[in-house]
Amino acid sequence: MIPQSFEYAAPADLKDALNQIAAGAKPLAGGMSLIPMMKLRLAAPETLVDLGRIPSLNYIHEEGGKLHIGAMTTHFQIESSPLVRSRCPLLAEAAGNIGDVQVRNMGTIGGSTAHADPSADYPASLMALEAQITLVSAKGSRVIGVEDFFVDTFTTALEDGEIIQDIVVPVEDSSVGASYQKMVQPASGFAIVGVAARLRISGGKASLARIGVTGFGPKAFRAKKAESLLEGTAASPSDIEKAAAAVADGVESSSDLHASAGYRGHMVKVYAARALTIAFSRVS
Amino acid sequence: MKINGSYVLPVPQERAYTLLQDPEILQQCMPGIDSLTRVGQDEYDMNMKLSIASMGGLFAGKVRITDQNPPANFRLIVEGTGKIGFMKGEGLMKLDPNGETTAVTYEGDVQVGGTIAAVGQRLIDSTSKMLIKKFFDKLATISH
Amino acid sequence: MATPTITKTDKLVGKRIRRREDPRFITGTATYVDDIQMPGMQHACIVRSPYAAARIKGINTKPALETPGVMAVFTGVDVKDVGPVPCGASLPGLRVPHHYILAQDRVYFVGHPVAVVVASDRYIARDAADRVEVDWDPLPAVADPEKALEPGAPAVHPEWPDNTAFTFHQDGGDVAKAFAEADVVVKQRITSQRLIPTAMETRGVVADWRSGDKALTIYSSTQVPHLMRTLVAQMLGHPENRVRVSTPAVGGGFGSKLNVYAEEALMGFIAMKIDKPVKWIESRRENFLCTIHGRGHVDYLELAAKKDGTILGLKLKLIQDLGAYHQLLTPAIPTLSVLMMPGVYKFANISADVIGVFTNCVPTDAYRGAGRPEATHAIERMVDILALELNMDPTEIRLKNFVGPDEFPYATATGLSYDSGDYAKPLHKALEIVDYKKLLASQQEARSQGRLMGIGISTYGEICAMGPSPATPAGGWESATVQIDPSGKVTIMTGISIHGQGEETTFAQIAADELGVDIDDILVLHGDTAIVQYGIGTFGSRGTAIGGTALYFALQELKTKIKKFGAMLLKSDDISFANGECVDNKTGKTVSFAKIAGASYRALKLPPDTDPGLVATHFWEPPNFTFPFGAHIVITEIDRETGAVEIKRYVAVDDCGKIINPLIVDGQVHGGVAQGLGQALYEHGVYDETGQLVSGELMDYAIPKASMMPWIESSHTETPSPVNPLGVKGVGEAGTIGCSPAVVNSVVNALKPFGVRHIDMPLTSEKIWKIIHEGAQA
Repeated sequence: MIPQSFEYAAPADLKDALNQIAAGAKPLAGGMSLIPMMKLRLAAPETLVDLGRIPSLNYIHEEGGKLHIGAMTTHFQIESSPLVRSRCPLLAEAAGNIGDVQVRNMGTIGGSTAHADPSADYPASLMALEAQITLVSAKGSRVIGVEDFFVDTFTTALEDGEIIQDIVVPVEDSSVGASYQKMVQPASGFAIVGVAARLRISGGKASLARIGVTGFGPKAFRAKKAESLLEGTAASPSDIEKAAAAVADGVESSSDLHASAGYRGHMVKVYAARALTIAFSRVS
Repeated sequence: MKINGSYVLPVPQERAYTLLQDPEILQQCMPGIDSLTRVGQDEYDMNMKLSIASMGGLFAGKVRITDQNPPANFRLIVEGTGKIGFMKGEGLMKLDPNGETTAVTYEGDVQVGGTIAAVGQRLIDSTSKMLIKKFFDKLATISH
Repeated sequence: MATPTITKTDKLVGKRIRRREDPRFITGTATYVDDIQMPGMQHACIVRSPYAAARIKGINTKPALETPGVMAVFTGVDVKDVGPVPCGASLPGLRVPHHYILAQDRVYFVGHPVAVVVASDRYIARDAADRVEVDWDPLPAVADPEKALEPGAPAVHPEWPDNTAFTFHQDGGDVAKAFAEADVVVKQRITSQRLIPTAMETRGVVADWRSGDKALTIYSSTQVPHLMRTLVAQMLGHPENRVRVSTPAVGGGFGSKLNVYAEEALMGFIAMKIDKPVKWIESRRENFLCTIHGRGHVDYLELAAKKDGTILGLKLKLIQDLGAYHQLLTPAIPTLSVLMMPGVYKFANISADVIGVFTNCVPTDAYRGAGRPEATHAIERMVDILALELNMDPTEIRLKNFVGPDEFPYATATGLSYDSGDYAKPLHKALEIVDYKKLLASQQEARSQGRLMGIGISTYGEICAMGPSPATPAGGWESATVQIDPSGKVTIMTGISIHGQGEETTFAQIAADELGVDIDDILVLHGDTAIVQYGIGTFGSRGTAIGGTALYFALQELKTKIKKFGAMLLKSDDISFANGECVDNKTGKTVSFAKIAGASYRALKLPPDTDPGLVATHFWEPPNFTFPFGAHIVITEIDRETGAVEIKRYVAVDDCGKIINPLIVDGQVHGGVAQGLGQALYEHGVYDETGQLVSGELMDYAIPKASMMPWIESSHTETPSPVNPLGVKGVGEAGTIGCSPAVVNSVVNALKPFGVRHIDMPLTSEKIWKIIHEGAQA
C-alpha cells in the first residue's frame, strides 16, 4: 500500500495550479479515489497538485436561478448546506448517500465527477439535473453539458490540462419533486444501481421528467425513453411502473461479484420506480 | 470472464480479414501499444501502456493469431504481464460479410491476475469492452 | 449502562467493570508492532506470486540490488535450509507438503512469497520489490475443492494428483440401524464459505538479532508467543533459550494470528544474516492473500428420524478446502466440526467422513469458532429442514431431542463428554423475550399481507476451552505465575496471550477477590517469553477457563503461604485471611498484606518449613473441554422487490457458565455475532477458477460495519462448568457459532411460501430475489 514517489505542490492560487497541470502535474482533489489507486500502484503521477488550498474553488452560491458549486466543495458541505438542501435537494440527497462519513468529509464534487467511476453517486443526479460543468485550463475555460461530459468508463471530456472549475445545477421550484435511490454495495458503499428522478407536475400532469442512472452500465446515462413515457401523463403508479420498466432500454449492463447483469436489470427498474414515486410525493 | 460483442466495419469481409491480421494496423489500433515486433509466424512481442483515465500500467507480452480460417474467422490472443498484474485476452473473431461492410462478432475470455484482479473485478467487463471498442473505432477510421 | 462504583470490600468477580487496558488503546498510546523503532532498522518488502500455480524459471534480483538503499535481496535458494512452516496437527496418513518459507521452483497460490527485498526504508523496499524480475511459467490451477477432487483436475502438488491430503472417518453407535429404523431421512448439501478474518491490524514482524549475545528477539502480532518461539527456533536451528518472542499490542487476531507464518522465521533469518533489526508490515492486500482464511466446507448431510421428530442418526461427508499448504492447525479444524455434529441433541448414531482437499488457494485454519460454526450451522439447518419435512414447530423438535439437564456429564456419539448444560433453559428464555406465541401470530398476519417475515432459531452447543493436551494438537494446559513484591503489589504473568479478551481486567478481578487487594495494585503481564513462563496462548475460548484456572491455583498456593506468614506475625494459629489482611480470630488483631509481603522477603524470621518470598507458579492441565451453549432467535423481513434481508430483531441468550465481567462478555457476544452476521449475509472470500482472489480488497469484501448491525438483545443463563473451579466455560466464539444458523433459519422461514428449504451463505439479495421471482431453489 505504498505509492511510487511523487512531487507534491499545494498552491493557493488557481492560475498557478493550472500552469502546473498544463505542464503535466496531476490534480489532487479529496484524494478519496486517487490516493487508493496510487497506493495500489494503479496510478503513478509524477507530480500532484493539491487543489485544496485554493479558496476560489470551494463555494456554493445562487445566481441567476442556478446554484454554482465549486469543484472542491466536499460532499459533506453539499449534503449539509442549507442553500443546497432548500434550492436543489436532489443534489444534497445524492451527496449524503456517498460512501461514509470519512469519505464525505474529504471527497469533492469536482474530484468525484472528474474520476467518472461508473458506480459513483453524483452522475445520476447530475444527469437528471441536466447540470452544466465549467472546465478551466491555463488556456481558458468552457462549459459542457453533463451528457457530453461522461464519455465512457472512467473517461470524460476533460482534455489535457483541464480541470473542473464548477458545476451548475438548477434552483428547483415547488412544482418539482426529486429523489435519489440506490442499492448499496455493502463493502464499498458504491451504487450497484442508482437512480435519480426529477418530476415537475403542473396542471396535474408531469410536464418534465428527468431520470439519471448510475451503476448500471459503463457510464451514467439519461433514461430518455422512460422520461418520454412519463411526460404528459399524470405520473400515476401505473405510469411510473411503465416508465420504470423502460429505464434501461438500450443500455447493456455487466455482471460482477456483487450482482449479475440480469439482477441489475431488474433492480434498476425497482429503484427507478422508487425514485419516481418518492419524487412525485415530494412535489409540493 | 466471458466477454462478447460485435462491431460493424465499413469494409468488405476479405479486406476486414486482411486488416485484422496486419501488424502495422494492429499497432495503430490497439490502445496503448508502444511496440509490436514480429517474432514468428503470426506471433508478436508487444509492449503496451494500458491507460484508463489515470489508471494503468505497462505490460509486456505477446500477440498471437491462430486458427486461421480466412476470410471467415480466426483466434486472437493478447497477453501481457506488468507490475500491476497480468492479463490474457483470447477471442474468436467471426467476420460475416454484408456487401460493403463486415459484421465482426467476438466471443472470448479475459483472465486477469495480480492487483487488477483483486480490485478491478467489477471493471473487467466494461473496460475490456471499452478497449475493444476503441480498437474497432480506430480501425474503422483508418480503414477508409 | 453506567459502570457501578466499587467499594473495597465488594467482590469484583461478576461485576461490570470497565477494562483497564482500554485507555491506552483508545488514546493511541499502545505500542503495536509498527510502532517499534530501532536504530539501524531495515525494512522488508516481499515479492509474491501473481499466479495461483506456476513454475519459477528464474529470478533476476540485480535491478533490485542495484537500487540505492537496498541492502539485500533473498530468494528461495537462500532459505532452502530453514525449517518448513510447521503444521502442529497430525492425522493418520496426512500428506504434508514441505512448506518452504520462500517458494523454491514452484508457487502454489496467489501471494506465495518468492523473494524479499531489504532496504533502509519501506518506500525504497517497495519500489525495489517491483524491480525484481521473475520469469514465470504459469500452470493450470484449481481453486474449488470439489473440482479439485474430480479426475483430471490440475494437481496442486504434483506428487499427489488426487489433491487429497487426508481422509478421516469417525463413527459412533450404529448408523446403519438408525437409518434402517427411520421413518424419514432428510438430505442436504450445506456450505460454509471461505472467510477472510480481516483483523483491523494486519500482521507484522520485527526481528532483532544481537550477534554478541547470539540472541534473537521477534516482535510479532501473534496469539501464541511461546509456541512461536519454540517453532521458529526450530526452523532457524537456533537454541530455543536464545530466542525471545515479545508480543506488542495486537489489533485483533480472531484465530488468524494463532499461527506461525513464513514471515516470522524469514525476518529472523534476515536479521541474523544482515546483523541489523528488520521490520515487515503486512499490507491489507497481503493480509487478504496470505493470512489464513476461515471455513471452506462443503458438507453433505443426511439426518434420520422417526415421524414424531425423534432424531436417530446423522451421516456426514465433509469436504474441507485446505488450501495449498497446512498452516499450524489446518487439517485439525474439520475434525473439530465432526466432534460437534451432534450439537445439543442426544442421538447416539453418527458416521462422518472428512476429505481434506488441496487447492491453489491460501490455507484455511482457525477463525473464530474454528470448525464449530460450520458444525452448528449444519446440524441446526438439518434440524430445521427435518422440522419442515415433518411439519413440526422448530422449537418443539428441538425440545424433544435435547440432552436433558439431568443427563450430564453426557457421553456423545462422537466420544466427547459434555460437562454441564440445560439446553431448554436459554431457549425458553429467548422464546419468552420474543413472546413466541405472539410472534407466530404476527407472522401469520404479515404473511396474509404478503410480507415475508421470518423467525429463525438456533440452539447451539459448542466445544471450547481447548483443551486436554492429548486431544489438542497445540497443547492444552495453561500457566500462571503470581508474584507479590516486597511492597505488597501483585504481578500476574499469564501464559495466555491477551489480544482483546480483557484478561488484564478479569484476571485482576479474580486476584483482587482472592487476595483482598485493590485491583489497582494488580498488574497483568503477558506475551513476552522473556517475562512470562511458558504458556500456550489465546484461542479456542480458553483464556479464562484454563488460564484463569491456572491463575486461581497459583493464588491458592500463595494464600496458603500468606496465612503461614500471617500466623507467624500474629503469633497465633487461629487466623483468617480476608479483605487483604490476616486477622487473629481470638484477639481481632490484624496484619496487612503489605506487611506480610515485606516480611516474607526480609526473612528476619520464617515460619516452619517455609521458604522466603511470595511467588507461585501453576501449570494446569484441564481434564476436559467445556461446553457453552445457548439459543439465538432472529426475526427477519425480506424486501420482496430486491431480496434484501433486514434483521428486525436479534435475541441472544448465551450460557458461558460463571460470568467474571458482564461488560466483557457483552463485548464478546457482540463481536461474535458481528462476525456471524458477516458470514451469514455479507462475506465471501472468492477465488475465480484460475485461483485469483477476486474479493481482494475491503472494497469488495463486505465486513459488517456498525451501521449494518442490528441491536443485539443479549442475556444469559449461568450453568457453571464442573471442569474448572471458576465454573467458567468461555464465550469468545459462542456468538459466531450461534448466529449464522439462526439467521439462515430465519430467512428460509421467511421464504416458506416459496417452498425453499435451504439457502447457502452468504444470503445476498440476488440469491433471495431469484428464489422469490425466478423460482430458484437456492
